[in-house]
Amino acid sequence: AWPRVAMEAPELWVGFVGAGRMAGGLVRGLLQAGKVPASNILASAPSDKNLDAWRELGCRTTHCNLEVVHRSTLVFLATKPHILPGVLEEIRPAVGSHHIVVSLVAGVTIQTLQRLLPPWTKVLRIMPNLPCVVQAGAMVFSRGSNAGDEEAALLKSLLSSCGLCEEVPESYIDIHTGLSGSGVAYVYLFAEALAEGAVKMGMPGALASRIAAQTLLGAAKMLLETGEHPAKLRGDVCTPGGTTIYALHQLEKGALRATVMDAVEAATNRACDMAKD
Amino acid sequence: RAVSFAGVLAAHKITASSPDTDLPTVSGLRKMGVNFTVSNKDTVKSSDVLFLAVKPPIIPFILEEVGPDIEARHIVVSCAAGVTISSIEKKLSTFCPTPKVIRCMTNTPVIVREGATVYATGTHADVEDGKLLEQLMASVGFCTEVEEDLIDAVTGLSGSGPAYAFTALDALADGGVKMGLPRRLAVRLGAQALLGAAKMLLESEQHPGQLKDNVCSPGGATIHALHFLESGGFRSLLINAVEASCIRTRELQHLADQEKISPAAIKKTLLDKVKLESPSLSVASASKVSLFTNKSKKN
Repeated sequence: AWPRVAMEAPELWVGFVGAGRMAGGLVRGLLQAGKVPASNILASAPSDKNLDAWRELGCRTTHCNLEVVHRSTLVFLATKPHILPGVLEEIRPAVGSHHIVVSLVAGVTIQTLQRLLPPWTKVLRIMPNLPCVVQAGAMVFSRGSNAGDEEAALLKSLLSSCGLCEEVPESYIDIHTGLSGSGVAYVYLFAEALAEGAVKMGMPGALASRIAAQTLLGAAKMLLETGEHPAKLRGDVCTPGGTTIYALHQLEKGALRATVMDAVEAATNRACDMAKD
Repeated sequence: RAVSFAGVLAAHKITASSPDTDLPTVSGLRKMGVNFTVSNKDTVKSSDVLFLAVKPPIIPFILEEVGPDIEARHIVVSCAAGVTISSIEKKLSTFCPTPKVIRCMTNTPVIVREGATVYATGTHADVEDGKLLEQLMASVGFCTEVEEDLIDAVTGLSGSGPAYAFTALDALADGGVKMGLPRRLAVRLGAQALLGAAKMLLESEQHPGQLKDNVCSPGGATIHALHFLESGGFRSLLINAVEASCIRTRELQHLADQEKISPAAIKKTLLDKVKLESPSLSVASASKVSLFTNKSKKN
């Protein structure tokens, strides 16, 4: 259902407080989706270092956070965690009931956001992951007390162009960090190890790396497109007495599954701990 | 016993032989109406389908003993682990030019008619002979034909499988007892859980991984438990077990194929070994023990 907020009309003004990698990934997705013209996007950052790239995309830039809030309806907060409280104090006077504030800031809860912003503010919290920059991200978001179905639908609609975007209870956000936020690093590790195995067996490194990446991409694509259970897809690859089952046995001997579960658990717990700080 | 209870074959059409008539299995068979004799030869003469239910090392001696009485009509079914069709055919061919041999691998739950049986047909066994065996064994569980070279793998999986399950059940019961359940109840519940899970899998189109997921609610008890299993390398242990059993079967077969020592010497070594081994409850090993403990042995 399309929300009543005018989404495709030029009236939607989008602002970014903070213009780092994650914000950059989201804005590329927004532009790709063609839902918001670049000229309607304003980003602020302390220095020009990051802002050059934004200007190249056709976005407007500034060094003034307040300006972003004054001139935008949808405001993304994309600062580093320790910077955020100061920024919120700065922009608070300019935040009105028409604003939709979406925080990308890791570890900062909705409760904290709502505490530092005016009580009527529509707040949402989103946790993206790095591949948003190539429009293959996984994002989850939760809504604060004043954010309703319209705001949620708007966010989902705008960001689906960056990848998977799902609304969740806030308690899932730390889990998402452990699974997918940090999860990309696990995949990089696995890709590196695959390639090293191939190099050991005699394949040149660069080729091995590209093949490793393509293998992960292809497998992930099959998972997403077939909707089959990964165990079933795994079984489909294993011919009796063949190479794959021999290799899988090695992985099982190494308790890979448990180790991966441990990793997700560790990252999730760390996210929870950090949020409490 | 299993086949008779299944109603596939009338008890009086079954003959069993063992030199030792005092075994509990013998009286049990007699009570069922099975014909009993101490003569292996008599068993052969009065049968069309002959199950060789002795331990593998004894097979060559049994074949030599009954060989002269084997006729073209007989279907010789060997359940002995690691004994190849060709070794049986070779031994029998000195007595009968075209012996019908079928090699079979089953498992102990045939006793409760939930066996897992595979069979491979020999050179001179017809399709109908295989189907006859299949019909008999299907009455006591699952039965299907396979290529002979897969039988070792089957041994590792479903032949030894019940032992893996018993071990698991013992441990599961321990877990239950540790957490406060009385032993009997723990055993009963554990067994029922495995039985139910196996039944669900057999009746479902779904992959076991999917069925597992269906039990694991997010952050719940089951997923916590499964994490422990994974940490312990549960899956790889099971893979290792099946592999080890399969490899050992092949080793034993290989050893049996190497008949370098004189038959008399083998017989003596086996005799001593057999006497030392404690009897299990299966009909097969009971026959084995009885064959050599009875002083008035036929041979």
